[in-house]
Amino acid sequence: MSLYGLIAAFAEPDALVHAASAMRDKGYRRMDAFSPFEIRELEAILAIRPTRLPWAVLAGGIAGLVLTYALILYSVEIDYPLNVGGRPLHSWPPFVVIAFEAGILGAALAGFVGVLWANGLPRYHHPAFNAETFSYARGGKFYLLVETADPRFRKGVTRGQLTRLGAETVEEVEA
Amino acid sequence: MARTAAVGRAPPVLRGRHDFPEISGRIAGVVLNGRLPRYFWAAFFLCFVLVLVLFYSITYLVAIGVGKLGIDMPVVWGTMISNFVWWIGIGHAGTLISAVLLLLRQPWRASINRFAEAMTLFAVAMAGLFPILHLGRPWFFYWLLPLPNTHMHWPQWRSPLVWDFAAIATYAIVSLLFWFMGLLPDLAMLRDRAKTRGAQLFYGILAMGWRGSARHWARYRVVYYLMAALATPLVVSVHSIVSLDFTFAITPGYHSTIFPPYFVAGALLSGFAMVLTIAIPLRWAFSVEDLITLRHMDNAAKLMIASGLIVAYGYASEAFFAWYSGEAWERTMMVQRAVGPYSTLFWIMLACNVGVLQLLWLRRVRLNMPALFAIAVIVNIGMWIERYVIVVSGPSRDFLPSAWGDQSLTWLDFGILFGSIGTFFALIFLFVRILPAITIFEVEELAEETGRVA
Repeated sequence: MSLYGLIAAFAEPDALVHAASAMRDKGYRRMDAFSPFEIRELEAILAIRPTRLPWAVLAGGIAGLVLTYALILYSVEIDYPLNVGGRPLHSWPPFVVIAFEAGILGAALAGFVGVLWANGLPRYHHPAFNAETFSYARGGKFYLLVETADPRFRKGVTRGQLTRLGAETVEEVEA
Repeated sequence: MARTAAVGRAPPVLRGRHDFPEISGRIAGVVLNGRLPRYFWAAFFLCFVLVLVLFYSITYLVAIGVGKLGIDMPVVWGTMISNFVWWIGIGHAGTLISAVLLLLRQPWRASINRFAEAMTLFAVAMAGLFPILHLGRPWFFYWLLPLPNTHMHWPQWRSPLVWDFAAIATYAIVSLLFWFMGLLPDLAMLRDRAKTRGAQLFYGILAMGWRGSARHWARYRVVYYLMAALATPLVVSVHSIVSLDFTFAITPGYHSTIFPPYFVAGALLSGFAMVLTIAIPLRWAFSVEDLITLRHMDNAAKLMIASGLIVAYGYASEAFFAWYSGEAWERTMMVQRAVGPYSTLFWIMLACNVGVLQLLWLRRVRLNMPALFAIAVIVNIGMWIERYVIVVSGPSRDFLPSAWGDQSLTWLDFGILFGSIGTFFALIFLFVRILPAITIFEVEELAEETGRVA
């Protein structure tokens, strides 16, 4: 069993934010934080890049809209043109209604699948779950994980730094 | 100065002081301890009896045919259509609370959005039954889809029925995705709190390994807001399309441009009435009056009166345009609505949706739970009657007086209506038993933001 990293538990969201920014100042980069609800400050501290998922949602929406409209157009113009009293085959106003709904559906599906895909979920096993102190919810704790892959990682030193930053517990996490 | 006084008078969104384990423990405890009061199961049993009534009625309807309903020439649209419009409308308040109030950053949505979304899902599930049952040959409903088949036919894209199918299906799927996405963090919380192996596996599999990573939260928030932004135009489009089912016919009383906005407002009115119908017993039964506070009840009641006024405007403008159009048929239809065969229902509808509703102007009534609950139930009834009156009064007083006629209601109409109501509440009971009815992570976030953490 190799070591994956050190996980430190904090009682308060503010303590986690403070510790994360202090560790970043010390040069640590391979870090992750876990919290029962989103803490907005962590985004800048952990240098999380803005997600490109909105583009996926846009693409999904356009795909749903265009494909559905194309299907309708194909059916009324090419596959089964039906002349009813000389009315235009391409009567777009009703088609827009269906294409709009399909566009929303495509965008929502792209967003849902995209966020799971980008987050690597479903993933039922992750080293963080190996930590005995790590319980996502039970104690309402806030966790900072420093990975061994970080070039600055030294087990003893890092543990000391985390403890000095007010961690309630610091635990070694097996990979 | 006056403004702060007014703000000070409004009850707070969360009452008392909390800490995180306490919030998650209390909400999750309802699900995980499984010790629900006896009256919960008694009420569930009553609903379950109605589920059986629904199954029986549907079987009967499919076996014998739609002639067993009260519908009769020339009024061939009946309770199946009014049930459909009523249920789909009820769903809309859930989306409004979860999506629109999220985009408007209204903090009070946090403790009620979960069950409001569940309400949406179950209401849409109920609504989806009725157009299919109304088809007469419900086993051919898939003909509405553009599927390759030996008939080589396509759906009629220009028909509102096909738009309806697209709108309802999209609404159901998007509501489900949005709901499940909101559930993910709470499912992970239940997984970590579960004591039994079965519960750990159940919630663990559903939670998909969510671990609350900061990187995950960042993407999650962006997409969650985008889904809300998608749901907002969707919800408006769904009920507008439902109203187009009516307005595309030239039948007097159906053919009106006021219908889309008027239907959407009616949807919100009945939806908020249903939110209150569920929330008032829920907060009492599970003693979560400090999480679902009087502020929520007060705000929902205010939204009811706001949408109710738009509905009243809709009634007025419907009557005005019937007169202003100068068309004899439109005018006759409107007069017949008030004095004809369905006039009793029409006046009951006005009394419920316009009359009784005005009591909500009084703050004392809004903060009195039994009174508010009674008004919510009355508005629910009034809104069902409204849909029924719209559906039947047009065709019953068509262009030719020689073709006038009415329809009756049979036991089958009531069997399916009350069966669907029972099924809806049975699903709500199961939901409260299996999933957290209050969004844990958003309430914790709210407690943190409003400084109510002990």
